[in-house]
Amino acid sequence: MRVVIGEDEALLRQGLALVLEQGGFEVVAAVPDAAQLLDAVALHRPDLVVTDIRMPPTRTDEGLVAALRIRRDHPDAAIVVLSQYVQRRYAVELLTDRPARVGYLLKQRIADVGSFCADLRRVAAGGTALDPEVVDVMVRRAQLARDALARLTPRQQEVLALMAEGRSNAWIASRLVVTEKAVVQHSSRIYEALGLPVAVDDHRRVLAVIRYLAQ
Amino acid sequence: MVTPDGTRSPLPRSLGRALVLLAISALTLGAVQLALVLPTAGGAWWVHLLFILVFWVYVAAGLLAWWRRPSNRMGSLIVVGGLALFAGSLGNTGVPVLAAVGTVTATLVLAVAFHLLHAFPSGRLRSRASRVTVAAGYVVALVLQAPLYLFDPGAPVPLAVADRPDLLMLGVAVQRVGGIAVAAATTVLLARRLVRSDAAHRQVLGPVFGYGIAAVILIPASATLFEAVLGLPVVARAGLQALLLGGVPIAFALGVLRGGFARTGELEELGTWLGASGGARPALAAALRRALGDDSLDVVFWMPDTRTWADSDGVPVQLPPPGGERAGVEVEVGGRTVGAIVYDASLIADAELVRTAGRVIAIAMERERLTAELLASQDALRTSRARLVAAADRERRRIAQNLHDGLQVQLVLLALEAQQVANASTSTPVQDRATSLRKGIDDAAADLRRLVHDVMPSTLIEQGLSAATEDLVDRIPVPTRLHLGITDGALPQAIESTAYFVVAEGLANALKHSGAAAFTVRIERRGDRLLVEVHDDGVGGASFSPGRGLRGLADRVEVVNGRLEMQSAVGRGTRLSAELPCVL
Repeated sequence: MRVVIGEDEALLRQGLALVLEQGGFEVVAAVPDAAQLLDAVALHRPDLVVTDIRMPPTRTDEGLVAALRIRRDHPDAAIVVLSQYVQRRYAVELLTDRPARVGYLLKQRIADVGSFCADLRRVAAGGTALDPEVVDVMVRRAQLARDALARLTPRQQEVLALMAEGRSNAWIASRLVVTEKAVVQHSSRIYEALGLPVAVDDHRRVLAVIRYLAQ
Repeated sequence: MVTPDGTRSPLPRSLGRALVLLAISALTLGAVQLALVLPTAGGAWWVHLLFILVFWVYVAAGLLAWWRRPSNRMGSLIVVGGLALFAGSLGNTGVPVLAAVGTVTATLVLAVAFHLLHAFPSGRLRSRASRVTVAAGYVVALVLQAPLYLFDPGAPVPLAVADRPDLLMLGVAVQRVGGIAVAAATTVLLARRLVRSDAAHRQVLGPVFGYGIAAVILIPASATLFEAVLGLPVVARAGLQALLLGGVPIAFALGVLRGGFARTGELEELGTWLGASGGARPALAAALRRALGDDSLDVVFWMPDTRTWADSDGVPVQLPPPGGERAGVEVEVGGRTVGAIVYDASLIADAELVRTAGRVIAIAMERERLTAELLASQDALRTSRARLVAAADRERRRIAQNLHDGLQVQLVLLALEAQQVANASTSTPVQDRATSLRKGIDDAAADLRRLVHDVMPSTLIEQGLSAATEDLVDRIPVPTRLHLGITDGALPQAIESTAYFVVAEGLANALKHSGAAAFTVRIERRGDRLLVEVHDDGVGGASFSPGRGLRGLADRVEVVNGRLEMQSAVGRGTRLSAELPCVL
């Protein structure tokens, strides 16, 4: 899988490239700013783009702007945006209209190499990866705002959060140490409670959940 | 002048005594002359008596004006006029020396009358033209009088040096022409002054000038007029002249006193102004302008530190030099100069009036000066506090930036390293320990993230107030309504961060103390003010004092010229609201 990296911190850029190479990705370019990122993507047509949000020159949200542009100009490229701090607004912006092939993760997640590479692969395969921290913010917020969510059992809420992160039933089952069947049961109750359309497809399921949470 | 304990101060008492002595002297002089003249006067005795009475009228009117307006020279000048009249009437005594004096000073009273006209109302001759005209008047009365006794052996007292009727005729003609010239110049100058003065001054000046000019023209002309035209006898003519002359001091004394009364009223108005409440009070200079009727009047302050004069904006100014069109009168408090009143000397002839006004407003002037000083230092204080807050903000940003770029990145790399070690190892204990080390580093990174966020949220720097507030509210574990009525990027950075910290502090306090079930956050722009409000439906009863955070917040808000307010009645919830300017 061919990857382009956008990260302004040299050490982190190298570390990221190393981690991805070790994880079986082919890093075709690793660049320090948004303009070079756009050029590299246009040149290499990668399967996956991993970029920091905050990059020169203004060090605000260049990476995000670039990511949105790449998603528009190169719909085939999956994009994972990394940030020191995650917030709902960016998550919603990234996931609006196409909650597939998108990831939004804390930079710190890189360290857990195995999970990180798995997240990247899931995104590249058409899935979603939303950082647990931002999911947490969204779920808590939705809990306060809507009675339906508050009526879910703690376990159902746990399942909902993992669904929002973009996890598959199998993954959720292994994480919660339950059977996949139990997860399916939980999720159908969640759909019912929240009034969401039943979707077998993992990605559509994420879409529905995210939309619900972002309301 | 009345001192605070109500007794009269020594100076006016001494003046009073001097004036009484002058009055007694005048009475005595008049009585002596009557004693000399009346026994030989025959049927015309009443004319002599009339002249002495007029002399006394002069002295009385002059002394009254002198006593009531000690700083005004008109009073003394009127007394001098009386003495001139007295000297002129000495010609009627049989005593040769006195008669000689009388002959020499026969028309002196007319010159003094001209002098009075020009000097009215202050008693000073302020224009060069006036000084020249008055001097010419004295020359006509004293020098051009000479041929009348030098060349006329028929004069009552033998001062004659030659019997030269031709020179006598010439002398009489020259004196008459000189007199007419002085009268004409006076009329022109006074008419000009009347035209230039405002309505209030004209009311005082007009009648006095009118009567004065009529008198000084009619008296010398009366010889021809009364005798030739009306056919009056010499004695009646002298009586009429005496009556005309007697009106002069009365007119001037009335003018001086009346003008003075009017101005006392103005000073009373000034006093009322002083009593008015601070906020509704117009500026000191404006009050003085109205009271003294000089629109160009200005107030300047004495700056003791730099030993210079400065206007109300603190700009250095100079006092006008003496003798010019503009004049300055210093104002003192307890012997210390606090300021000065600069006025148009051609409008306000009497500097004493300005001085009196200065005494009335002295304390107010000192207060205004101190207020100006205080405001200036307050301004400096606020500027320095603003600098401190700005510096603190800069420092926060710098710290956040450094932690962000340095420590956070390092923690990612360290955790990555730890995980690499775990992955590379074949020993399970090493794998476990390295993985738990990585998790520990991740936790530390999470703590650091929160710390950086508290110091200066990156969202605020990167995206502005609405995104940062939204993110803040997202993380509040109590249902919170957010009303945002602002445009991103339209507010100064200092206002955005102040508004943000108001919300953050308000929410933190509400979380800690209110026990509320719901919060409301409102950020709204209303005109050029930004309203920031955090409201909860909790227990209330909060106050500014316990939380150091709130105190610091109040300082921060004050620095940007905003207002922080907390309403927290027990049981009614708490409302923390700030009103900030949208433009710094």
